[in-house]
Amino acid sequence: MMHSFFFVLSTLIIGYLLFSSLSYLGLFALAFRKVKNENNLVHRESTEILLRNQNTYPVSILVPAYNEEVGVVSTVRSLLALEYPQKEVIVIDDGSKDMTSEQMIKEFKMTQIPFAFRTHIPTAEIEAIYQSTIFPYIRLIKKANGGKADALNAGINLSSFAYFCAIDGDSILENDGLYKTMKPIIESDGQVIVTGGSVRIANGSTISRSKVEVIDLPRHPVVIMQIVEYFRAFLIGRLALSQLNILLIVSGAFGVFNKERVIQAGGYNKNTVGEDMELVVRLHRLLREEKSKQRIEYVPDPVCWTEAPESLEVLQSQRIRWQRGLFETLWTHRKMMLNPKYGAVGMLSMPYFLFIELLGAVFEFLGYFIIFGGFFFSLVDPTIALIMFIVTILYGSLISALAVLLEELTLHKYPKVSHLMRLYFWALTEAFWYRPLMVIWRIQGIFAAFRKTAHWGDMKRKGIST
Amino acid sequence: MNIYFFWVLIAFLFLSQLLLLLVLSFRKLLINKKEQTISQQYDKLTESFSSYMLDSTDDHFLEELYNISHQTIVLERLLNHYVAVTKGSANSSQVTQLSETYLTERYTKQLKRRNWAIRMNTLYFIEDFHMKSLTPFLKEKLHKSFRLDQETQQLIRTLTSLNEPMTLSVMARYVDAPVRLYIDVFKRLQLDIQLEELDAALKNEHNNKVLKYAAVSYIGMTGLMGFLPRIEEELLSDDEELRIQALKSIQHLQYISSPSLLTPFFHSTSWQERMFAARIAGKLQLSRYQEVLSELLGDSVWWVRYSSAEALTQFADGDILLSHLSANHPDRYARDMATQWEASLLGSEK
Repeated sequence: MMHSFFFVLSTLIIGYLLFSSLSYLGLFALAFRKVKNENNLVHRESTEILLRNQNTYPVSILVPAYNEEVGVVSTVRSLLALEYPQKEVIVIDDGSKDMTSEQMIKEFKMTQIPFAFRTHIPTAEIEAIYQSTIFPYIRLIKKANGGKADALNAGINLSSFAYFCAIDGDSILENDGLYKTMKPIIESDGQVIVTGGSVRIANGSTISRSKVEVIDLPRHPVVIMQIVEYFRAFLIGRLALSQLNILLIVSGAFGVFNKERVIQAGGYNKNTVGEDMELVVRLHRLLREEKSKQRIEYVPDPVCWTEAPESLEVLQSQRIRWQRGLFETLWTHRKMMLNPKYGAVGMLSMPYFLFIELLGAVFEFLGYFIIFGGFFFSLVDPTIALIMFIVTILYGSLISALAVLLEELTLHKYPKVSHLMRLYFWALTEAFWYRPLMVIWRIQGIFAAFRKTAHWGDMKRKGIST
Repeated sequence: MNIYFFWVLIAFLFLSQLLLLLVLSFRKLLINKKEQTISQQYDKLTESFSSYMLDSTDDHFLEELYNISHQTIVLERLLNHYVAVTKGSANSSQVTQLSETYLTERYTKQLKRRNWAIRMNTLYFIEDFHMKSLTPFLKEKLHKSFRLDQETQQLIRTLTSLNEPMTLSVMARYVDAPVRLYIDVFKRLQLDIQLEELDAALKNEHNNKVLKYAAVSYIGMTGLMGFLPRIEEELLSDDEELRIQALKSIQHLQYISSPSLLTPFFHSTSWQERMFAARIAGKLQLSRYQEVLSELLGDSVWWVRYSSAEALTQFADGDILLSHLSANHPDRYARDMATQWEASLLGSEK
């Protein structure tokens, strides 16, 4: 009885892993042409036109900060270097306990100003608003702690322009990054309401003055694995979904939003840790319910660099937070799941995120459990355990290794042959150490979603720019 | 479940990946090597290229160019770099001559390629190098196109930059042609043709509203004062969008022949019109409108309040006015806005 239960379970999981592997390949095939095509475009040329065009929409840049005294000034500095005709930078100090505001005030010679802003979205109390006397378009909001979503909402209230982008304090935007991300919005005359710029891991590369000077791989295996993971998620998942206009994630690290639409949707949701994803899903929902032709787009060209965690502890809390955010978003919008009213978002994208991105961890965990149980406690027939082992390697390692190869085939962003070799061989090890860790943390994340304790992710920063 | 099937499956997949890895590594090696050669040749030719561009009788560069293996790619990079850093290089006869001699064949082939990015890049280069010889080919391509996608839009820009105003009539075929693209076209036209086309657009000869909006907007952007009376005429139009564009244009031109033309806009039902009227009153320091600006400070729309306060700061006595309004305006939002702008004036004086 027990054996036959585990036999059925094993078959189910093997089927799941094989099916997911195949669906990954299908999604990649969908995205292949676009990546291949756009990658050869001389971007300097195509953004030049926008640079000269005075009709380019101005953008408010929001930088939510909580205890960021180390990095906040350099982040704002890098934003000043951005090539863009009209922009404003709004730093929101979300009740930091350190010297975040003091650093800003000192560095940019800021003075407190009375500011008549509109409260589109209610937020925690605004304590003071400062403006730089050297660069009047830099402002600082000092507010009571309310979480990242609340900080972003306060920034939206204070922003003057019709488009805003949100950028994390630990990210560096490339000089022409804002252009590249605004391009689909400008070229569609506002039909595109959100663009997500793709984010790359900066560890190992040399970045100075918002420009990537040397692209190199980091030494730390944990970071290399995050790069591999990013290739896998980016090339095989997101790009295809974006092609179909059903992408659910615009990375928290970088995205441009149409302010009016965001306000209509109610701003960022304070009750989830995955506020970026939740907002995008809500906007999709709004568009579908209105039967609007507007859309959300993903820019495959990397525009933003971010520092990936090197310590397992920080990585763990990041993954728990991501998984919890994903769970909360899918739960909040469960009405859309498999609902034909929401078109491909409901029928394809929501199930994809539920079965592959969220529940994948549960299936994989059970898979590892059966492998152990089969080999050491004769929980199942050892042959079944062996098959499970093979399929787990196929799903965990070979698909990731394939993602590395596909990246080389299409984008080839890492310049040396040794980079390719290192990435490939580390990818092969994934199923044996990195993936089990992720699986456990992702399951912890699902549990955390039931407990709900909101907090900002703490990150030990070393700083990525020189 | 047959274990052998899975062994064979994974072994097959792994071995094919290894094969792909080898092929890709080899390709990477070749690409890197080629790139290295190109950049060496580029470095080698930079000096003679610079002398040639200064003095075209110095044909040392042409000899060197003749002797290298990656002739067209190196030349393309040299020219591209030259146009990017040199002002006024758009009309450089040497750039055109070099590109037409060495790149025409390559570009004709590339425009027929299936790869979209290669075709797009080629269009950008043809525009930058001003390669007139390709005009007939591009015209034919434009006539064959039936969708205003990114490529057709760039084709229109490129052709216009080669002095082909016919692109305007081609664009008229597309009802969805955006204002932005018309502006791009005006920008690229030679001055005499540009003035003619702007004139025609204002007269609405082609019965094309979007073209007219673009013309009004372009005139403001570039400060073509000669058209001011025509723009002022449009303030009386029945078309709200056109009136807004005309106000915007006047704001950029920073001139109005008779300020009383603005009066009706301060009480318009359209908030954009009220906002632009306020901005113009500020920019041109039309003190007769100070009172109405104080009223608009209590407007129901934030942008109007904001622009009115900003306008008041432009007057010599703006600080006194704002300070008075921040204490005495009947509307609470108006007082807040006045306080904010009063503080900004203090900040700027520091």
